[in-house]
Amino acid sequence: MKRYAFNELTVFQYIFLIHGAQVGIGVLSMPRELAEVAGTDGWISIILGWALAVIASLLIISIMKRYPDKTINDLLTLFFGKWLGKACIVLIALYCAVAAVTVITHTAAIINSWILSRTPGYVVTIFLAIPCYMIIQGGLRVLGRYAELIFYMTLWMPVVLMTAMPHTKWLYLLPIVKEGLGPIVTGTKSTILSFLGFELAFFLYPFLQRKQYASLGIIVANTLSMLIFLHITLFSYTFFSPDEITQYTWPTLNLWKVIEYRFLERMDIIFLAFYLFYLSTTSFPYLYFTVFSTSQMMGTVDHRKHLAIFLLLIVLALWLYTPNFIDLKKLTELWSFGGIVFGYALPALAVVPIWLLRRPSEERKA
Amino acid sequence: MTLRGWLRRKRVSAKDRIQSFPARPLSNSLSENIAELQNIFTLTPDLVIRTFESSFVEGTAAIVYLTGLVDKNSINNNILRPLLKQQARGDAKILDRISVGEVTVAYDFATVEKEIFEGSCIMLVEGRNEAFVLETHGWPQRAIEEPQLEAALKGAHQGFVETAIQNIALIRRYLPNRELKIKEFLVGDRGATRVSVLYLRDVVHPEVLQEMEDRIKLIRIDTILNSGELAELIEDNPFSPFPQFMVTERPDSAASHILQGKIVVMVDRSPSVLVGPATFSAFFQSVDDYSTRWLVATFIRMLRGMAFLIATFLPAVYIALISFNYEVIPLDLILSVGESRERVPFPPLLEAMIMELTLEMLREAGVRLPAPIGQTVGIVGGIVIGQAVVQAGVVSNIMVIVVAFTAISSFIIPNSDMGAAVRLLRFLMMGLAALFGIVGIIVGLMGLIGHLIQLESLGVPYGSPLAPVRFSDWKDFFVRLPLWSMKDRPVSSRVIQSKRQGDNRPRGDGK
Repeated sequence: MKRYAFNELTVFQYIFLIHGAQVGIGVLSMPRELAEVAGTDGWISIILGWALAVIASLLIISIMKRYPDKTINDLLTLFFGKWLGKACIVLIALYCAVAAVTVITHTAAIINSWILSRTPGYVVTIFLAIPCYMIIQGGLRVLGRYAELIFYMTLWMPVVLMTAMPHTKWLYLLPIVKEGLGPIVTGTKSTILSFLGFELAFFLYPFLQRKQYASLGIIVANTLSMLIFLHITLFSYTFFSPDEITQYTWPTLNLWKVIEYRFLERMDIIFLAFYLFYLSTTSFPYLYFTVFSTSQMMGTVDHRKHLAIFLLLIVLALWLYTPNFIDLKKLTELWSFGGIVFGYALPALAVVPIWLLRRPSEERKA
Repeated sequence: MTLRGWLRRKRVSAKDRIQSFPARPLSNSLSENIAELQNIFTLTPDLVIRTFESSFVEGTAAIVYLTGLVDKNSINNNILRPLLKQQARGDAKILDRISVGEVTVAYDFATVEKEIFEGSCIMLVEGRNEAFVLETHGWPQRAIEEPQLEAALKGAHQGFVETAIQNIALIRRYLPNRELKIKEFLVGDRGATRVSVLYLRDVVHPEVLQEMEDRIKLIRIDTILNSGELAELIEDNPFSPFPQFMVTERPDSAASHILQGKIVVMVDRSPSVLVGPATFSAFFQSVDDYSTRWLVATFIRMLRGMAFLIATFLPAVYIALISFNYEVIPLDLILSVGESRERVPFPPLLEAMIMELTLEMLREAGVRLPAPIGQTVGIVGGIVIGQAVVQAGVVSNIMVIVVAFTAISSFIIPNSDMGAAVRLLRFLMMGLAALFGIVGIIVGLMGLIGHLIQLESLGVPYGSPLAPVRFSDWKDFFVRLPLWSMKDRPVSSRVIQSKRQGDNRPRGDGK
């Protein structure tokens, strides 16, 4: 039974959906967060975080491989029965909702503080919600196409960033591992949030056309994200001095400020505007899987009504209350916590029982 | 789709108004038949009924036709003359004397009526309850000319005309192949329009073809005057600004699309044909691309891509930079822009709107006017836009440059439907830029992408080969690689037989 045949994803779409979900709000603040904890050795934490993410992703794939036609929601109902399963789906929908809300509120807040400082946050959100609805209502197939297209469309950004190369001082990086391994390992914790996105494989796997590439694809996605994180972090570390970097909330944006042409200044504004595409590829999959889960739970096929309600709720919430940066930080922490549970702990815990459960039935078949 | 349901209901009720006559059979008596015909064709001064005696028929015979729709030479020379000649009959039957190619026999008045309207000559004979339908049509026709809208520098200089039969012949000249199949449908209850669907049977995907046929069969309407009307009735998304069928007047372009695995829909009486499934990229290609050198063609393709971006976004970017994000422009530049805007009383959005609307009006005024007056409009507009407006301090110099640039860019897009879509989008983007600056433009672009990637034409993705990305089709997209490198038909048109050519790469002498 192929329930999800209509929305099939190609391998590239699968890679870029995961990669897009990973590269999001984290990139803007990552160099500072890492520098606060691990100093200029933070870039090593990224590699460690990448290794963890790859291990967790491979665990997820190894679980999903045993039930190639089922998303995590189907699996939960299968294992825990109707009611407990539904409760679990609610939790997952909540997790996705938290992720989506975090990214959207961050987007609105960054735009508000960096470009449109006089526009109220909810107006920006209403405005963002329109393309949001247009794209997500098309379902996963459209999301996949979107993620892939956006990846190619934003390829110029790291290249242009390279023009800041003459301003960098690579000596800032030395000595490597100056304070021992402790800070580096602590720093890994803050990269976990940035690598979140691979857990979408729980949903994406059954939609994938050629499942033999699932593991390879997810490794490629993680590696791509790691390269982008590394690129930005190394650049920030060599551009700003080790003390200066911790003073900026979003060092990545300040990095772009120095790139100037005779006809164009303040590249950061253009960069940030284009960065909306990256932020959209992070929030859209989470938004989609929130409404996908809720509509599946309610037993409706059409996710569009739920999507409209969810977007309306977000706008309404932001209209009633504009979150300040402390609220945003709390939201991020909530998402990290959920991500650790859903992305790292769940696969680690589930892989053993599923492996044991499935084994006998396979032997019986043979 | 409540709206669609509503439209459907209206259409059905429109059908109920049309009275359909039961098919009455012809009688044996000639006079009865003629009386019945005169009854059907009341108030029809162009109906000709000629009765005559001939040695080839038992008794009297009559021919009936609508003058103007028939070829009079053919009737005089091939029908009347041999029949009126006094000659021994011998074994010859009636039809043996008539030198007309296509002859059929009709037995009821409904068919006779339809055939008369289509320009056939009907021959009735005393004592026979049948009518000979002689194909003699020869309605007023235009000579074959080069289409004005799609002039080609190096391509053929033939364009379609208003007669489907001739148009089919024009395509057959390019594709003398038995796999070129033509399916005919009659659309319209009041004036049945012959709609022909042309395709290569072993190339076109049957599902796509079925989709096209189903959509055409579902139409219930008085009549279709133009292929544009048909397109509006069978397209996928009626609310999209983008054309979902390619409309062309060029037989070579139609033939090349058929070869790519697309379907051509021809509407009788309309000189333009529909090509589907269309993709977004196809609207930026022209036949000339394949007859110029590929490097040149690639350059022109890229020019068009750039023109699309400029025509859609340039005024919006201007508005955003002037009224919102002026910190992006370096100080010297912003000073010179400010200097030129010093006397301008309008906010940038209004300034841009005034100029863009003026330009659109000039264009629209020039389009339908005869050439000499059209030129006058151009000169008047040129003076008004170029100088007077700036000197009067209504708009700034830079705005004039921006408008001129967008105008030129929008004319570079080879397809006029796509050009019109771009012009509409431009105003939307201007509005967004005035509301939110650069963020507005980016979100507008996001929405545009979102719309393009889910649009479909006959169930085939419209954004292909960009979204979904199909790298194998990129050989004929932003770049136009040498013809010998395009060995397969485009994946985007969903074909079942993809091989197009063998290894034709020229190797020069050193083989």
